[in-house]
Amino acid sequence: MTSMTVDAVRLTKHYGGRSAVEDVSFTASRGEIVGLLGPNGAGKTTTIRLLTTVLAPTSGEFSIAGHPWTSAPEIRRSVGVLPESTGYPAYQTGGEYLRFFARLYGLTRSNARSLAAQLLATVGLEERAGSPISTYSRGMRQRLGIARALVNDPVVVFLDEPTLGLDPAGQAQVLDIIRNIAKSRAATVVLSTHLLPEVEEVCSKVVILNRGRVAFAGSVGEVISTALIEHSAELRVPLDLVEGARNVLAGFPTLTVDQLAAQPDVLSLSVDGAGTDGSSDIMNAALAAITAAGIPVLRFELEGARLSDAFFRMTSEVAV
Amino acid sequence: MTLRVAPREVGTPPDSRATAERQSGWLVVAEQETRDLWTSGRGLILLFLFSILLSVVTYLTSTNQALNFLEQRESVNLVLQLAVAVGVLVTLVVSADGISGERERGTLESLLITPVSRRSIIAGKLIAALTMWFATFLITVPYVWVLARGVGILGQALALGFCVGTLVAVGLGCIGLLISGFSSSNKTSIAASLFLLLILFAPTQLPSGLPQGWFFEVLLRANPVASALAYISSMLVEGHSWTQDLSYLITPLLTAIIAGGALVLLGPRLVRLTPGVHAG
Repeated sequence: MTSMTVDAVRLTKHYGGRSAVEDVSFTASRGEIVGLLGPNGAGKTTTIRLLTTVLAPTSGEFSIAGHPWTSAPEIRRSVGVLPESTGYPAYQTGGEYLRFFARLYGLTRSNARSLAAQLLATVGLEERAGSPISTYSRGMRQRLGIARALVNDPVVVFLDEPTLGLDPAGQAQVLDIIRNIAKSRAATVVLSTHLLPEVEEVCSKVVILNRGRVAFAGSVGEVISTALIEHSAELRVPLDLVEGARNVLAGFPTLTVDQLAAQPDVLSLSVDGAGTDGSSDIMNAALAAITAAGIPVLRFELEGARLSDAFFRMTSEVAV
Repeated sequence: MTLRVAPREVGTPPDSRATAERQSGWLVVAEQETRDLWTSGRGLILLFLFSILLSVVTYLTSTNQALNFLEQRESVNLVLQLAVAVGVLVTLVVSADGISGERERGTLESLLITPVSRRSIIAGKLIAALTMWFATFLITVPYVWVLARGVGILGQALALGFCVGTLVAVGLGCIGLLISGFSSSNKTSIAASLFLLLILFAPTQLPSGLPQGWFFEVLLRANPVASALAYISSMLVEGHSWTQDLSYLITPLLTAIIAGGALVLLGPRLVRLTPGVHAG
């Protein structure tokens, strides 16, 4: 049994003279949820299509679940895919749709029927199994698409924008299903999305693409640390205690404290002599002093401590 | 929500289902495509319109028979030719939607990532499109039966219509799928197919009184639809034996072989997300 399920090495795809994906390399293992991020046109969908054998690479190679990229039928048996903006036959019911795909993977009619019922229950659509897909909401269709991606019990599941156009409740439902896929089935999930908070929420690893190239590949913590500015932070305290907090922070001579005009309960902290060592010690000491003074900390965040900060920094640095 | 399907070991070989899926992928596609075609109402509407047309033609030809304007064999020939024409038309239109339609509806990619081969997908779609021809022929049977009573050509007419019609439908169904694979949009595919059909049917609509020299004969024999209909006429109206004018079937046969062969050869590179044949 191997742990690595996705191994892409210098994957490149050209359309004529245009490069869609260039030297993309990354790996993923069992049970990992990998966020595939990037602005529009970064090459996310092309990368997924390459890894699912829908497109052939111009150069480079990859393997899925141990199968080399040249073994397309074996790879297709090992992956489940929810393509971007996938269409559904409007007149088929959800049950018929899943039974059809289950049979394409070689299941008998009766096995396909029971698997379809099981998967519909998995994504919370069991009560709509007999309804035409045309009557499904967008969220229900996305969940049906995820169920279809699971009919072959895949080792790697590729989900291209699964939460696109969904309301917050729908997004939460889909994210819950994604977590379960990785946890219960120990499958690798490659999640392409524009929604960075959801990546922070569910992904253990991210691959950031920009203009077809990998701008960063690593854990969420690693990517955030690249953008982290330790000498600058924001502190949010109850409005009536802001003055008290300022008085406490006045005890730190190297710390400049400003009150934000737009958010009067938020204080902006910065250590003088930016980039010097010891910034994090000063920040920690300031935070400890605030809590010791009995002032509740509603939020304390170092600048650049969000995935979105790192994402924008990486994608704007390369884009000229 | 909990997932209850046990995960498969990474790197394990495909299970015993693999053999079955390789054998029957085309059948599963054909079954689903046929069901979609008929349950979506497209097939039924087309056949309903055809049955109305056939009823009108049968009524008119029966009336003409009573007035001795149309010989009974000619009536059977006319209805059979109409069945072949309409059957081929709907088969071509349905097959022209096969690949380009799936592309536009966004359903092709899901099909491409299954282990079913591209050729199996094409075969399934062709079979589904051919059900339109078979249904058209089935509807024609009672009309032929009514018109052929008393002249002893019922069996011959039905066997002839079925064999020749199937040959033409297979050829044009394959062409429809080729057009669909190459077309940049579904509208282009269907328009191109209908235009092709118009060209193929044009010679059959020329008045019979026109002088028919060698050029007309070449045009007739080069046209798979016109030559197939000429073969039906030669047997039913002129009473020729089935071997006498067999050369009329060369073009329909070649069309089916060449178009079918092209589909088999190009199929894997034709069923793809972007139109045309490319390497990647």
